[in-house]
Amino acid sequence: MGDHFILSKELTRRDLVGNLALALSSAAVPISLEAAQHVHEAAAREKEAQGAYTPKCFNPHEFRTLERLAELIIPADGVTGSAREAGAPEFIDLLCSQNPELAAIFTGGLLWLDAEMRRRHGAPFVEAGEREQIAVLEGLWEASGGTEESKPEPAAGGRDRPDTSLSPGVVFFNWVTKLTVDAFYTSRLGIKDLGYTGNSSHSKYVVPQEVIDYAIKRSPFAGG
Amino acid sequence: MLAASACESARLLLNSKSPRFPNGLANDSGLVGRFLMDTVGLSARGHVPALEGLPRYDTEGYGGAHLYMPWWAWEKQGELGFPRGYHIEIGGGYGMPQIGSFHGAVRRHGIGCKLKENIRKEFGAFVDFAGRGEMVPNAMSYCEIDPHVMDRWGIPVLRFHFQWSDAELKQARHMEQTFAAIIETMGGRVLTPLTPPGGEVPISAGGEIIHELGTVRMGTSPRNSALNPFCQAHDVKNLFVADAGSFVSNPDKNPTLTINALVWRTSEYIAEEMRKGNL
Repeated sequence: MGDHFILSKELTRRDLVGNLALALSSAAVPISLEAAQHVHEAAAREKEAQGAYTPKCFNPHEFRTLERLAELIIPADGVTGSAREAGAPEFIDLLCSQNPELAAIFTGGLLWLDAEMRRRHGAPFVEAGEREQIAVLEGLWEASGGTEESKPEPAAGGRDRPDTSLSPGVVFFNWVTKLTVDAFYTSRLGIKDLGYTGNSSHSKYVVPQEVIDYAIKRSPFAGG
Repeated sequence: MLAASACESARLLLNSKSPRFPNGLANDSGLVGRFLMDTVGLSARGHVPALEGLPRYDTEGYGGAHLYMPWWAWEKQGELGFPRGYHIEIGGGYGMPQIGSFHGAVRRHGIGCKLKENIRKEFGAFVDFAGRGEMVPNAMSYCEIDPHVMDRWGIPVLRFHFQWSDAELKQARHMEQTFAAIIETMGGRVLTPLTPPGGEVPISAGGEIIHELGTVRMGTSPRNSALNPFCQAHDVKNLFVADAGSFVSNPDKNPTLTINALVWRTSEYIAEEMRKGNL
């Protein structure tokens, strides 16, 4: 009976990862932090039990490329580590292992990325220099409609399906940046980086005085 | 006692035809299904640089920013060009990071340290405004039995007709201008697209705010209503409707408490009528 219980718990856990994987390519965002944490926990448990994580969807070269991309998209800085340290490659691999549509976007995109880097510098993406790697990604960001200028955001709750009219590189860029950022900011590292305090219990709701002072000092009405 | 939600109560009545009630039960007035309403909705979002770097604290709990603004401009109603009012639900704070929380940041800031620093800086510096307003019932908004479509049990379903009138469109425009003015006065930038002059204001679709009500309206005369002021059917004395079907107006606030208040009154009325032997 004990074994049976563990088995059904295991299936439930896998279902949770699978449900999120399928929701990503069909449902509107946002999707809960809790759903993301099931994925982080699944990867952490495997690392703890086996000493290392074995990719389920990607081959070693593809996984190495995802690790490098995670370092470039969210690098380590003086505050926290990188998205690679936060487990973004494992997060993406686990989700892709449960959603063939997503897996096809990533494996196809990684092939495209290597082909593009070979065309430019005669080497696969991971073997190119950092400057060259960033140049390819910056180009994809611009091609994806990214801009520093003030631009209205699309209405909230819209479906976020890949636009197949874009080149495979841009579709891949959109997905790898989205999921890397999602993985980082739903991890312990990312939550620490944001300073998100979590939802704690209070007997009454009081805004701290230092917060009020800070806001009033910076208000457009300050000093009036 | 019918309390199946406004539209479903109307559907049950309209489907309950008999020689005595050829238009459906308690529908001698022909008004069952008519004057369907929903709440007017419009939202806006802004980025307020003055909030960047605010010391972190727990802002979670009901409604994000713990702020609610009831209708304030009733004294200026004549100048506004629309009747009735709306309230504002204000959101913001250090919301729980979720999948999708920072997709917009990639679009604005690209990748690398720049992205990470900007997400950190902008966390908690966004404000959201959701307007929820009162709709005036109109003859173009109603539900009726669909002559062609049935549910899986073979029972005819409803089909809906819905149109906002000029009153709601002007109210939604007022919401949008108000939200934009608040954001800009705070030194912020409106992130949601603003309606260009002459463009269609992004008002919610009928049913989107899920406050559908008004389809079995109450009133003092059997000619202009299906229910009396105690939610008792004019035509069928032992039939009461205890959901939002009885509403003749759509309060800008969520209807549940008004439903409860009406049910309380109906219950007291039923008890009294039973004591008198009228029921």
